[in-house]
Order: sequence, then structure tokens, then C-alpha cells
Amino acid sequence: MTQDKKDAGYSATDQMIVSAARQIKDNEVVYVGVGLPMLATMLAKNFHAPNCTVVIQNGTVRKSLFPLPAGTDTLGVQTMSDLLTSLFYVNCLGQAGYINTGFLGAGQVDRYGNINDTVVGDYRNPVHRWPGSGGANDVMSICKQTIIIVRQSKRRFPEKVDFITCPGYLDGKPGQREEIGLIPNTGPRAVITNLGIYVFEDREVVLKSIHSGVGVTIDQVKAEVGWDIRVASDFGDTEPPTEEELRIFREKVDPEQTWAGGRRLLAREEED
Amino acid sequence: MDKVMTMKEAVSSFVHGGDTLFISGAQHGEPSAAIHEIIRQRIDHLTLVCALVTTSSLLIGEGAIDKMITGYSQQNDKRSYTIAKAKATNKLPVYEEYSHFGISLGLLAGQMGIPFMPTKCLLGSDMLKYNENIKSMECPFTGDKVGIVRAIVPDVGIIHVQRADAEGNAQKWGSLGVDQEGINASRTVVVTTEKIVDSDIIRRDPNRTIIPGFRVSAVVEQPWGAHPMHLAGYYNGDMFGLMTELREKDGYEAYMEKLVYGVSDWNEYLSGRKAIKGEDYFNNLLIQEPLMSEPVISGY
Repeated sequence: MTQDKKDAGYSATDQMIVSAARQIKDNEVVYVGVGLPMLATMLAKNFHAPNCTVVIQNGTVRKSLFPLPAGTDTLGVQTMSDLLTSLFYVNCLGQAGYINTGFLGAGQVDRYGNINDTVVGDYRNPVHRWPGSGGANDVMSICKQTIIIVRQSKRRFPEKVDFITCPGYLDGKPGQREEIGLIPNTGPRAVITNLGIYVFEDREVVLKSIHSGVGVTIDQVKAEVGWDIRVASDFGDTEPPTEEELRIFREKVDPEQTWAGGRRLLAREEED
Repeated sequence: MDKVMTMKEAVSSFVHGGDTLFISGAQHGEPSAAIHEIIRQRIDHLTLVCALVTTSSLLIGEGAIDKMITGYSQQNDKRSYTIAKAKATNKLPVYEEYSHFGISLGLLAGQMGIPFMPTKCLLGSDMLKYNENIKSMECPFTGDKVGIVRAIVPDVGIIHVQRADAEGNAQKWGSLGVDQEGINASRTVVVTTEKIVDSDIIRRDPNRTIIPGFRVSAVVEQPWGAHPMHLAGYYNGDMFGLMTELREKDGYEAYMEKLVYGVSDWNEYLSGRKAIKGEDYFNNLLIQEPLMSEPVISGY
């Protein structure tokens, strides 16, 4: 795995979170999962996107800042919200087309952006069991675009997932999402990991940039992908975090470093 | 009609072996006290309907759940002894899996008294292969494909709320998860509440009522009834404390012995919890800076 470059002054995890945060634009509406997606969103909100509206699955809709939550729902998340409602209501917002960006973690992501959060192996007798969809299938089905943030390893990047919890572009042929009835012009747009940034070209995951600032090489990335991954036409180095981004992340978003290593006790990201 | 009773009476009267049981909360304000009582009364072969599984994972560990209707199993055997124990005793529930929105729509159809709800979620997911209660169909108006989720109608639902009157008019605020549709879809309803209040308090702010009294069979007053989950306006949670405690066999079995089977009710649990965690434990969970809203004005 990644060796954090000590002289870079930041880690691969920092780069992952900063790169993810940059995907969020000011004034947009973002549907955010707990863990790494929430960390990235909080950085955006504290820095370049103070006016984004954050939607959380338990029924919270809010624009003002709030403390970094350890779980999906805390009193800190609820307090001084713009709207406290139900899971049904927030998903209706998305289904009716009012949420721009969804932000998800994942158990596994495959070549065509399908996510597996359910089982590895046979469904009834699995080799590994994840907790299941939760809100993930909903986010990926209804948001205009979905950004996936996940710690990378070969096991997490198979060519084809054993179980599609959240459909990406299925087997990669054009128009499949629409054909099965999903809302047109939705689906995954980027995958951000501790090694690089991936985008979709013709519905296939391709490598857009590598975190060369922390010493990641293209060979290292390829070793942690389960298929012969293509490189994007405009491939390059990931733009490193600025000092300001790092300062805000460390001082304002996660001062106690609860999530910084992605090591929050019992967090989904920590699971193998 | 006064429906106030003890937790013991409410659970023994309205929760039966083999029932499909809706548990409210989805992390916020789960009916933890009621869950302990169900375990103590050894009610089993339940089908559990819930959005998230936190305190209800105790029911899984004790082998009380045959089937789970949920979107998120939350814990696996590496992270929680509840699943490991259920596996070891051959009592791991069968999962019927949905997305969160899927559960919510199934319960909403139940609440509405209709057979199913259409959605643009779940399509293209392998959940459809293993869950016969999610399908897709052609929209009769546009011909487009839509997902459909079959109605879920629990035999009994339990909700913990901030306040209710003796008739069962129950008010919950804060984030609601699937509470509204879940409790209203349930045929029989048990309300557990931090406080039983005069009906006039309910009636001066009736928009806050989540289910009306005539739909409710039992009202149980139980302060700290959602601990270790948080409850808006009352207390913060200690969910990670519980999860850490239940992670290994020793912690899990000690918890069950000392705090579930070894006590007769939730007040004894609270004393036992305090004895283990220390004198300041509950005080530290209280809301430090309560915010008051403007009064809601009604009348004519």
C-alpha cells in the first residue's frame, strides 16, 4: 500500500479527502454518506463551498456548519438544521431531481462503476458480508452524479463485482441504466482513492491522475486494480492539497484526528 | 382511555413469538428499553423490520430473530459478537434486503393500505434477485420501467418518543428516519415515552404528533428509554460505547448477564449501567446547551 511521503507534509488519506472535497461546488445540494464522504464534505463546507446544502439520509437537510458526526445521525447533526424530516422525504428530493451530487463510500467498485456493499461469494453462503445497501443504492440511483470515495486495494477493485448493490453502468454497454428504468443522466462520475482519481470514459473506470505528491506510481496503482485499467486521455498528477486546505482540514474539520487515518472505530471504511 | 402500563405488561400483552416487529429509531431514539424487555421475556421467532440495526442487534445475538427485513445489517461477525453468536447457535436471521428508501416505501405502502409503491431506486440491483418483494414493472401510463416494493405491514410496532399522553397521542421530533411510516404501518402500536404529559400539552402543538391515540395500544413511561442511542431534546448517545462492549464474547455475555437478564426492568438497568460506567456517565450525556424554539401559537 501507499507509503506516505514524510517530506510531502501530508498523507495519501489527506490527498484523498482534499481531492474528494474539490468535487463539491458552492451552492449545490449534496447527499452525503457517513465516514470519508462526510469528511470531504465538511472540508468543502469549511473552505470553498460554504453555501452547499448537505442532505443526510436520516432526514437532515442543512446549510449551516455542524460538528463532524461519528455516526449517521447525532444531535450535533440535527441541531440548527434547516429541515429535520424523514428518510422518505430526503430520498423524494433526490428521486424528483433536486439533488446534484451524491457522495458514497463502497465495499468494492468494478470496471463499470458498479458498487458491491453486500457480499463477496455466494449470496447465501458468502466469503465476506458487508452491511448492505443502506442508503447507497438510493444515492447512486437518484443523484445527478455520484462520487465514490474508497480506500484502494485489488480486492476492492475487481473487474466484476459478485453482487451489484448499486448499479453503475452495469456491463458497460451504452444506455443500460436507462433501459432498466433508472433516471436518465444519473450514475457514477468519479472514484477517488488514496492512490489516484478515476473518471468514466465510455462508462468505464479510467485512471485520471495519481497522487504522485505522496509517491504513488502508476505501477502501484495498476497492482491494486483487478483488471488492466486504461489511462485517461488527459492523464496527469493529482493536484496536491494547498496549505490552506490542509490547515482547515486539520484545525476545523477533524481537529481530534478521529477520522484522519480513516480509522474511526467501527467505521465502515475500516472494514476489510 | 388510559393505556398506561409497565414495560413488562406492554411487551407481554402485545409482542408475541412469531410476530413481524417494527423497531423505530434508525439510530435516533430507538426503543432500547423495550428491546431488553423482549429479550428478558424470551420472545422469539420474530421477523424484524428496521432501517438500521443498533440496539436491536441484541435480539439477533440472543437468537430471537428468524428474519430481518432491513436495508443495513450494520454489523458482521468480525465486528460484533452478536452475529458470531447467532451463527454459532445456528440462529442467524435470513435477510430480506432493501435499500433504505426501499424499506421506507414498503412501510409507506403498508401505512397507505395499498399493495406496493413504485420507485426509481433498486432497479439494476442484485437485491431483486434475492428479495421476492422487490420487482420491476412497466408504468401503465408511460411504459417506462419502474421498481416496485411490496407493502410491509408489521404485526406490532414499537416507537420511543419524547412525550405522549395517557391515550397514546405520541410526539417525536428530531430526525425521523422511517418512524412515521413504520409506526403507522404497524397493526398494533406500543409507545414508550420519556414522559407522559397532559393531553393539553399534545393538543397545543398537534403537528408534532406522529401517531394518534386511537391507533395505540400501550403507553409506557420510561426515562432514558432510548439509551445508549441519542434522543433530541433529552440526551446524547453512547452508540460506540455499546458497539465496543458487544464486539467480543466476554463483553457481550457480561452485558447480557448483568444488564439484561440480571435486572428486572430498565430502571435497574440504568442503575447497573451507572455502577459500571461511573457516577457522571448519564450527566455527561445530557444536553449541555439546550436551545428553545419560539412557542407555536394556536387557538381561535
